[in-house]
Amino acid sequence: MKWIYQGKCWKFGDNLGIDGDVMPLRFALERELDPMVLRDHLMAGVDPEFPQKVSPGDIIVAGKRFGQGNPHIQGFLGIMGHGLGLVVETIPRGSFRNAINAGLPFLSGCEKITNDVETGETLEVNFQTGDFRNLSRDIRRQFKPLDTQLMAIIEAGGWHANLEKRLAKLAAN
Amino acid sequence: MGKTITEKVLSRVTGSDVTSGDIIFPEPELITVHDWYVVNFDKALQELGINDLYDPNKLLICTDHEPVAVSPQASERQKQVREIVKKYGIKNFFDSGRGGHGHIFPIEMGFVKPGMFIEGYDVHVTNFGAVGALAIPLLIEITEVLACGSVWLRTPDTVRVNLIGNLLPGTGIRDVAQKLICDLGADRVDYAVVEYGGPALASIDIAGRHTLCNTPIEIGAKSVLVEPDQETVNYLVERVQGNIELIASDPDANFREIVEYNLTEIEPQIAVPPTPDCVVDVSEIAGKPVHHAFIGSCAAANLSDLQVAAEIIQGQNIHPDVRFIITPGTQEVMAAAETSGLLKLFTEAGAMITQPGCGPCAGGRIGGMANGETSINTGTRNDYGRLGAPNADIYLGSAATVAASAITGRITDPREFLS
Repeated sequence: MKWIYQGKCWKFGDNLGIDGDVMPLRFALERELDPMVLRDHLMAGVDPEFPQKVSPGDIIVAGKRFGQGNPHIQGFLGIMGHGLGLVVETIPRGSFRNAINAGLPFLSGCEKITNDVETGETLEVNFQTGDFRNLSRDIRRQFKPLDTQLMAIIEAGGWHANLEKRLAKLAAN
Repeated sequence: MGKTITEKVLSRVTGSDVTSGDIIFPEPELITVHDWYVVNFDKALQELGINDLYDPNKLLICTDHEPVAVSPQASERQKQVREIVKKYGIKNFFDSGRGGHGHIFPIEMGFVKPGMFIEGYDVHVTNFGAVGALAIPLLIEITEVLACGSVWLRTPDTVRVNLIGNLLPGTGIRDVAQKLICDLGADRVDYAVVEYGGPALASIDIAGRHTLCNTPIEIGAKSVLVEPDQETVNYLVERVQGNIELIASDPDANFREIVEYNLTEIEPQIAVPPTPDCVVDVSEIAGKPVHHAFIGSCAAANLSDLQVAAEIIQGQNIHPDVRFIITPGTQEVMAAAETSGLLKLFTEAGAMITQPGCGPCAGGRIGGMANGETSINTGTRNDYGRLGAPNADIYLGSAATVAASAITGRITDPREFLS
């Protein structure tokens, strides 16, 4: 599992809706869970060309309430499909769980982070330690990483993979 | 440093010293699942090769979102639910006509006690906070709880809301609960438990506390509860088995914020589309014609809500342009409404009474709306499409406001009927 991402910054503002902005609602209604299908529609509501522009290791940086709205997991699976990282100022409760459940490395609680980056700059983020660097402008910030128990779920590959692991452990005892 | 009610509950169930922010795996003492999600969790468990639940006795299943099946598909799903309930040996199954609304009847029937820890597959499980329980909504991860007994929880902060003052005539607790989420705003309660206390609480009955515990979840609170008191004990004493132990936050608990909220300053409120926290004084919107009116949902379906409506409707007729649906919350509420003559009063005025449960609020499966129509109702949400049609306007208000509006055919200040 890779915890250190180095790549291009893709900056977004506040209040990106999980349905519509990050991922068209129809995929939630169709219960599509394949990251390789969902990746082609990531950010369709705000930047339809986004899937063609990003590369693995790139990092989405956004403001407050990233993924607000009815908590559907599809947007986070779409981010996973591209191998992107996520750094946000805040993330509402349902989407926080969904990001963990999708197995996505992310940092939240990153106050005013959008002031320190612009789209196209090169970032390096260690999601395990919370070390955030804007290499283009020599900015370095330290954030609180996720709890180690949550990182373990991400490391296992998200909720479903972690649940299978937990059940296997229970069965072995 | 003292502890909040939430930290105390979670410390007790995990047997450890829990503080806000801790990641824990607390085992719920009650789990609730509604209707067809039973079919989904069964499928998920089968795919994982799980044939036995961690503890079937903790699980309560009810049929409330669509108690009267209105399609062949719904009848099939209900049949599947009954078979699954038998397969796992689930004793606490409240099928159509047996309990009513799953966020209300478990309190009536004594399943819920102060200080309990509960998880459920539905956001409004927070109603159980009305008697001082901590209830956390879950989605697909309910499968993990059913298979393994728990799932991770990040221990939430608490925002304490101290209620003071007295309600003005014509203003109900729904008006308070609605205006409160508008005044607090999403950022202040994000991932927090809203804990109610304060001197005005003594004047608010358990029905009103259901409503208080229902609305903050709409703006991102993690859960909601009321500090249990003598009113809680009086309500529960004949309903629960064993002792009732009260629980309170310590005076030096680490609250995110303490808010004082004055009931005396609140007038009847209307939530305008598209979210429940877009709230205005009724005077700002009064006069708007309505076609659909509804009293019910987990936010307002107790006997006292029906009594308030009956006081306004008595001797009046529902407006010819309005269809008015009343969904008593539970079988107990329905029976009490029958005994006290409310059902006759509503029926004679031109209202329709439906089977206890969610009523139209569960997606408009029954009694929904057409495009271009306007509804005033006591439901939980007013996003477009909530009552079926995507282009119908939904306004939310108290039972009194809905009743007054159903009579006049336009959004109406209920105080016009109280002079």
